[in-house]
Amino acid sequence: MSWLLPALVLVPFAGALVLPGLPDRFAVRAGVGVALVTLALAVLATYETGTTGFGRMQLEVRTDWVPALGLQAHLGMDGVSAPLVLLTGLLSVLVCLYLTRVGPDRNLVACVLAVTGGSLATFTALDLLLFFIAFETVLIPMWLVIRIWGDTTQPGGTATRNDAASRFVLYTATGSALMLLGIILVIARTGTSDLTELIERGGAGMSVTTQTVAAGLIVLGLAVKTPMWPLHTWLPPAHTIAPTAGSVLLAGILLKLGTYGLVRVAVPVLPAGLQNVAPWLGGFAVVGIVWAGLACLTERDLKRLVALSSVAHMGFVLLGVASMTPTGLQGALYANIAHGVVSALLFFVVGALKDRHHSADLSVLGPGLRDRLPRLGWLLTLGAVAGLGLPGLAVFWGELLAIAGAWQSSALGALDRPYAVIAAVGTAIAAAYWLRVLRLIWQGTPPADQAGLPDATHHETVVVLPLVVATVVLGLLPGPLLSTTAGVVRLLLPGGGVVP
Amino acid sequence: MLTDITGTLTGVPRIDAVALLPVIAPVVALLLVLLIDAVRPVKPLLNLVTLAGLLTAAGGVAYLALEGTERSTACSIGVVVGTAGLSGPSPLPESLSPSDVGFGCSYLVSDLTLTGQAIVLVAAIGCLLLALDGPGAEDRTAHHTLLLATVAGATALAGARDLATLTVALETATLPAIGLIALRRDAQGAQAAVTLLLTAIASLGLLLLGIGLLFLATGSLYLSRIADVLASDPDEKVLVVAVAGAMFALAGIGFKISLVPFHQWTPDTYAGAPLPVAALLSTVSKAAGLTAAAVLLGIGLPALHDAWAPLIGVLAALTMTAGNLVALRQQVAVRLLAWSTVAQAGWVVLPLAASGTTRDGVREAVAASLGYLLAYVVAGLAVFAVVVLVARHHRAGEEHTLEAYRGLARTEPVASAVLAFALACLAGLPPGVMGLIAKVVALRPVVDAQLWPLAVVAALNVALALAYYLRWTALLLATTDQATPRWRLRPAEGIVLGGAAAGCVGLSIGAGTIAGLLPDLLR
Repeated sequence: MSWLLPALVLVPFAGALVLPGLPDRFAVRAGVGVALVTLALAVLATYETGTTGFGRMQLEVRTDWVPALGLQAHLGMDGVSAPLVLLTGLLSVLVCLYLTRVGPDRNLVACVLAVTGGSLATFTALDLLLFFIAFETVLIPMWLVIRIWGDTTQPGGTATRNDAASRFVLYTATGSALMLLGIILVIARTGTSDLTELIERGGAGMSVTTQTVAAGLIVLGLAVKTPMWPLHTWLPPAHTIAPTAGSVLLAGILLKLGTYGLVRVAVPVLPAGLQNVAPWLGGFAVVGIVWAGLACLTERDLKRLVALSSVAHMGFVLLGVASMTPTGLQGALYANIAHGVVSALLFFVVGALKDRHHSADLSVLGPGLRDRLPRLGWLLTLGAVAGLGLPGLAVFWGELLAIAGAWQSSALGALDRPYAVIAAVGTAIAAAYWLRVLRLIWQGTPPADQAGLPDATHHETVVVLPLVVATVVLGLLPGPLLSTTAGVVRLLLPGGGVVP
Repeated sequence: MLTDITGTLTGVPRIDAVALLPVIAPVVALLLVLLIDAVRPVKPLLNLVTLAGLLTAAGGVAYLALEGTERSTACSIGVVVGTAGLSGPSPLPESLSPSDVGFGCSYLVSDLTLTGQAIVLVAAIGCLLLALDGPGAEDRTAHHTLLLATVAGATALAGARDLATLTVALETATLPAIGLIALRRDAQGAQAAVTLLLTAIASLGLLLLGIGLLFLATGSLYLSRIADVLASDPDEKVLVVAVAGAMFALAGIGFKISLVPFHQWTPDTYAGAPLPVAALLSTVSKAAGLTAAAVLLGIGLPALHDAWAPLIGVLAALTMTAGNLVALRQQVAVRLLAWSTVAQAGWVVLPLAASGTTRDGVREAVAASLGYLLAYVVAGLAVFAVVVLVARHHRAGEEHTLEAYRGLARTEPVASAVLAFALACLAGLPPGVMGLIAKVVALRPVVDAQLWPLAVVAALNVALALAYYLRWTALLLATTDQATPRWRLRPAEGIVLGGAAAGCVGLSIGAGTIAGLLPDLLR
C-alpha cells in the first residue's frame, strides 16, 4: 500500500492544478469529486493504519529529494495524524460541496484543494524540512482565498480586506521563518532531518541549551499559526474577512497545523527544551483562554466572536501540550479535532446567516432568530452549546483532559495547578459568552424588514449534517478517538510519559 | 621538448586552450562581431555569432564538467633568476614545488570555476535573447561586443587564481556595463552611465589598494600561496597589512555586488538602463562579483576569516534590510526590482559570514552562496522576461509602475503564472520550493555557527520581502475594467520566458541541485 499516502497528498494538488483550466460549473463539481477521492483515500489510509495498529508509524514511503540537506520525501501515518487526515478530508469535501451552490468559482475550489493537499502533506510528513515545506505550502492559497474572495463590505472596503490578507500571511511567514531557524539548528546538530529517527533519539545529541533555543524558535513559529495569545491578532480580521469556505478551512484545518507541529516535532524531538519552554507556553495559553473569553463577552460581530472563541479553544490545546503528560496530550489532540469540527460547523452557519443578512452583527442577526429561521437557529444553538463545553458534546472531553493534564503536570512546575484553575475559569467564561449569544438569538422580536428571509436550504443542511453528527458522536463516544491517539502519545513523550 | 626548454628559459607558461574555452569563445565571438561589422553588418549574422560564442562557451563548460578532471593552466613553473654565481635563469631545484617560492597557477578548472561559469553563461544567454529585439539593442554591434566582453571577464573570473588575473577579469566583467547603459542614449541613460562609471572607478581604486596590500603582506599574487602564508602563523604586522588589504578588496567587490553601503548606484542605474541590460547587471554582474568574493575569500583568505566574516555579516544584514525596506515603498517595477536585487545580494553573501576556517566549512559556505545565486539568477531572469514584455506593451514603457500588472492574469495567464511563480521563488515560499531550499541552504551555516542576530535579521527579512512580492502577485490577480491588448510574443523572448520558467519548476522539483553544488574540495 505504499502508493496510498503519496496519492493522498498528490490527488488534491493535481486537482488544484487542473481545475482552473475547466469551465466554472464543471470545475466546481469536479472539485467535489477530487475531494471525495481524497476523503476515500484518507479513510482507506486510516483503515490500513488501524488494522496494523495506530501506535506505530504505518504506510511509510521514502525517497531522497535533496540529498545534500538530507531531505527525504518521507511520508507516514500513525494515531496522531490519522484523525487530522480524516478531518481534513471531510472538511475539504464539505467545503467543495458548499461551493457548488454558494459562489461557485473554479479558482476558489482550486485554492481549497491546494490547502487540503498542503495540510495532508503536513500531517503525513516524516521529515523536518518536508514538514516545513508542506506547512508553508498552505500559505499562498489561503492568502489568495482571503485576498480575492474576501468580504469587501466591511468598513474600509478593499483596503481592510487586503490588510487582513497581508496580516495573515506576514504574521505566519515571520513565525515560520523563525521556526525554520530552529529546524535548521536541530538538523545541524543531529545531522538528520528524519523525524522518526529524531523522535527515537528523543533529543539525544543536543545539549539542553540547544534544545531550549530550538524549542523556543519552533514553538514561536507554530504558536503564531495556532494562534497563541498575544500572537493571535491576525486571526479575527482574517476570519471576519474570509469567505465562509476560507473561514472553515482556516479554523478547521490550518490552525491544526500549528498544534500538530507541537505534538509531532516540539514534544518528542526536543523534550528537554520544551520542558524549559512549557511554563511560558502554558502561561500564554491560559492568558489566551481568559483574554479571548473576555473579548467574546463584548464582541458584537458573530463571526469575530467565533474567531476569538477559537483562540480560547486553541488555548486549551496549547495547555494540554505544555503539560507534557499523556492525559494533557490526549486532551490536546482531542480538543484539536473537536474544535475543528465545531468551529467548522459554526462558520458554516454564521456564513449562511451573514449571506442572508449581509451582516454578522449580533444586533442584526439576533432578535428572534430561532423563530424566523428555525433550522439555522438550531444549528447555531448546537454549535454554541458545544462551544461552551457541554458534556455530551465534542469539545467537553478535550478541554477536561487538557485541564486534568495541566493539574498533574511536572513540566509546568509549581504553576501546574494555578494554570489548571485559570483554564477552568476560562470554561466558565465560555459558558457566559455563549449563553449571551443564545439569549440574543432566542429572545426579542424580529424586526419587520427581515421577515421572509429563507431558512437553511437542503444543500446547506446536507453540508453541515456530517459536522452535527460528528459533534454529537465525539461527545457521546470519546473512546475510539482517545484509543487511536493513546498508543502514540506515550511514544512521543520522554520516558514513555510516566508521571513521576 | 622545445616547449619545455622555452618554458624553462623564459618562464612563459603553457596554455591549455580547452580549459580556457569558456573564456576564449566569447572573446573570439567578440572579434568576429567586430569583423563582421567592419565588412558587412548583417543583423541576424551578428546575433548568430554572439549566440554561438556563448553557446560554445557553455559547451566548453559542459565538456569540462563531464570530463571531470581538474585542469590548471597559465602556471608559472618557477624560474629562479641568477643567484649564487649563475648567470641567467635556471630551473627550480626539484626539492621545491613552485608554490613554495610564491608561484602557482593563474587559472584553474575546478567545480567552483565551472559552477560560476555555468551560472554566468545561463544568465548571459538569457539576457542576450531578451535584448535581441528589445530596446537598447539598436546599435547591435556595440551591444553584443560589450556583452561578450562582460561574459569573457566573468568566466575568466571564476577560474582566476591570482590577484592580478582576478582584478583584470573583474574589471573586464563590470566596466562594459557602463557602455551598455549608455546605449540608451537619453539623459537618464547618460546619467546612469556616469553614476556607474564613477562607482566603478572608486571600486577599482579600493580593489587595487587592497590587492596591493595583500601582495605586500604575503609576497605573492597567487591565491594558494597567499593562503599558505597566512595559514602559517605569520607575524602580527603581516596580518595587520593583510587584513587591511582584505577589507579594501572586499569594499571594492562590495560595489560590484551592490552591498549596502556601496549600493547607491544600483537603483538609478537600473532605472536608467535598457531593461535587458538591467537584467544583465542584476544577474551576470552580480554573479561575477560573487564569484570574485568567493574566490578571493574562500581560496585566498580563509585564514583571515575572523577578520572579514563579521564584516560580511554586518554588510549582509544591512543589505537585505535596507534593500527590502526601500523596495516596500517602490511603485515603478524596475526600481522595485533594483532594490529587491540589493536585498537578494545580502542573501547571496550571507553564508560567507559563517564559513569558519576549516576547509569544509569554507566549501559549504561558498557552495551555499553559489546555490542561492543560481536560484536567484533563474528566478530573476523569469521576472525580467515578463517585465520586458510588459514594458514593450505598456504605454509607460520601461517606466511602468506595478499598476501595469493589474489584471494581467486574465489577459496573459501564462506570463502571469510565470511571474507569480518566479516571485514566489524569490520570496522563498512554496510553490517556489527552489527559493525556499536556497534560503535553507544560505541559513544553514549561519545557524550552525550560532550567529543568532544575523540569523534572526535574515528570518525577519523573509517576511519583509514577502510583503512586496505578494503585493505584486496580488495585482496580477486583481480585477480591472481596462482592456489590455494581447501580447505578441517574439520567439527569443518566448525562449527566455519558457526556459526560465522551466528552470524555476525544474529546480523546485530537483532542488538537490541547489543544495548540492561543490561536493568536493574547494580549489
